[in-house]
Amino acid sequence: MPTPAVLGVLAVLLAGPLPWVLSRWTGLRRTPAAAMVLWQSTALASVLAALGAGLSLVTARLWEDPAGTGDVVVAGLAAAVTVVVLARLLVSGHRTGTSLRRMRRLHRERVDLVAEVDGGVSVLDHDVPVAYCVPGMSGSRIVVSRSTLTRLAPAELSAVLEHERSHLRARHDLVLEAFAVLHLAFPRWVASASARREVEVLVEVLADRAASRTSGRRALLAALVALAGSPAPAGSLGSAGSSLAARVEVLRDTRPHPWQSAAVSVLAAAILALPTLLVVRPWLAGLV
Amino acid sequence: MGELEQAVLEALWDLEGSDPERPGASGRAVHERLHGHDGRDLAYTTVMTVLDRLARKDVVVRERDGRAFRYAPRLTRAAMTAELMHEALEGTRDDREQALVSFVGEASEEDLAALRRALADLS
Repeated sequence: MPTPAVLGVLAVLLAGPLPWVLSRWTGLRRTPAAAMVLWQSTALASVLAALGAGLSLVTARLWEDPAGTGDVVVAGLAAAVTVVVLARLLVSGHRTGTSLRRMRRLHRERVDLVAEVDGGVSVLDHDVPVAYCVPGMSGSRIVVSRSTLTRLAPAELSAVLEHERSHLRARHDLVLEAFAVLHLAFPRWVASASARREVEVLVEVLADRAASRTSGRRALLAALVALAGSPAPAGSLGSAGSSLAARVEVLRDTRPHPWQSAAVSVLAAAILALPTLLVVRPWLAGLV
Repeated sequence: MGELEQAVLEALWDLEGSDPERPGASGRAVHERLHGHDGRDLAYTTVMTVLDRLARKDVVVRERDGRAFRYAPRLTRAAMTAELMHEALEGTRDDREQALVSFVGEASEEDLAALRRALADLS
């Protein structure tokens, strides 16, 4: 099969069917770190394959000797599609990046003005319990409300704080941002929404793991009960509910899964490496 | 700088309602308040710089009063806290960009039941 067709089929498979299958395989969450790598490599590989399909079609037609009018038209169309894909990604990346950074800066500035800082944590004087973090390159914040401090036992509070610290340490915000960018750039036809939802669950699962390692599962579960059990603000129940169910499901499972973890990691590496080695390299080598 | 801004905003909140005729306070009054109440020895120009910075952040509203300005906090301390809480709780719901990353979002009855079961199974 010619290179453009192979890459095109690959791009479609990686953007649609594979994420669809992965998002239905709930057992994948039991190896969250490997799963995270797999999602990222799938997303990256699908973008690269789509761009590669366009570019290789351009070269396949123009390197033809002699290139007829039809070849030039096809090459022009392929180039245009490639540029559109790239432009959508860049525009979406820029928009998402600027708006996120702006919202975070504005929020952080006001937190710094009203919150009391206690042991590196910003405390808001409010009687609805919350705990969250404001990620950022130039100073992140972990914020809790006064009521969180009074309701939680020490071990529970340390579980909450460790959960948030692990988000900040692992820069989960960047992963979430990347998948938000993909979803905004290609909201339809591809499985960008389910990819994003799954990655959102995975960062929580990873932070939960970190928290239960330092503070214990019991403390973490008790903290989740205390903070989720509080009267929720008015509004419909969104997808956040099901993400909590998924987190509990993973927390209940304490067995190690070394084989699954290894297999998923190998799959993640293969998805990126094999197309590059088997398709892209020969194509690039053929150009010179 | 952050600590200074907090002190100046604090002073503005304290001065709220001190003059029932006119809202807000003058830069002079804020300077005096910081000196008299908190014992801070700040230059008047420093206080003015901080006030302008707070106005740029839209935390303080600036209004012309003759040849000077009067400054008032846009929100009370409680309202500003409530605004932040609202943003934090709001962010957990829809699939907009996640500016803030919450510990736990809204929970359905089934979620809570699953949580309690998991906790009970531990003991």
